[in-house]
Amino acid sequence: MINETELIERLKLGDESAFKTIVEQWQDMVYNTILGIVQNETEAEDLAQDVFIKVFEKIDTFKGDAKFSTWLYRIATTTALDHLRSKKRKKRFGFLQSISGGASEEKEQIPDFHHPGVSLDNKERAAALFKAIEALPENQKAAYTLHKLEGLSYRDVSEVLNTTISAVESLMSRANQNLRKHLEEYYNKHYR
Amino acid sequence: MTSQEKIQLEVEKTLQSLDGVKRAEANSFLFTRIKARMNKKAGGWDWIFSFVSRPAIAMAIVVLVMTINGWALWDSNTEDVVAADNSSELASEYNTVASVSNYDYENMTNE
Repeated sequence: MINETELIERLKLGDESAFKTIVEQWQDMVYNTILGIVQNETEAEDLAQDVFIKVFEKIDTFKGDAKFSTWLYRIATTTALDHLRSKKRKKRFGFLQSISGGASEEKEQIPDFHHPGVSLDNKERAAALFKAIEALPENQKAAYTLHKLEGLSYRDVSEVLNTTISAVESLMSRANQNLRKHLEEYYNKHYR
Repeated sequence: MTSQEKIQLEVEKTLQSLDGVKRAEANSFLFTRIKARMNKKAGGWDWIFSFVSRPAIAMAIVVLVMTINGWALWDSNTEDVVAADNSSELASEYNTVASVSNYDYENMTNE
């Protein structure tokens, strides 16, 4: 197996086979991270493509201060969050959204995203959890997804988000509080 | 078990539902699609369309066009006023105030 540094050096020289190896080696990691944040398989695939195109174009800016995977996670997270922001902006522009405002609020309560890696017996609960994750503020959403879906330690999450470990602990604690609150409301409605 | 306890239990189970989740796998043709997009991008016009179709840019273009139209309209109105002023000044200077409708075209004399 070719080592990471050599691959990066070859990619800097524009070597296509190095780029192919990089895509094949890290595509699931990038796709899974984005999917957790945007919760839509088609959009996640398009964004994963965007991430690797950015990697190809910006590889010269990678100085090796952080791990390559950390750099990739950072691009993937930023790309996914930017996409959500742009979607929100487009919704605000939508005139139809304002006309059918009441109906869309009702629709938002229905969990509709099913992560392919969740076991069948946890499918419904995980869908409810993803609905709650969707409502989290950006940085909590990113920290929670990286930790829970990608299994990154708090230290690794802090490196991706360019913050301290204690800040990640605080983000995770607030994320858990918000999720608990959201789920309590959801099940309260569900059981009545 | 009360309904509140049931809810609490369900919340706990839901929070644990992502424990042991497997990584989602990307499409096996991802690299081919990336290459196709990069080739298309190298073709050119793609970024121009995506830039112009952004809501903020599109709105800015509409505002710009409307401003230019408004300015052009205002400018042409002021030119008409200036032209009308000039012709009346010229008419009074040469004492040709008589209106065209008073002119006797057959006898070629002013009535």
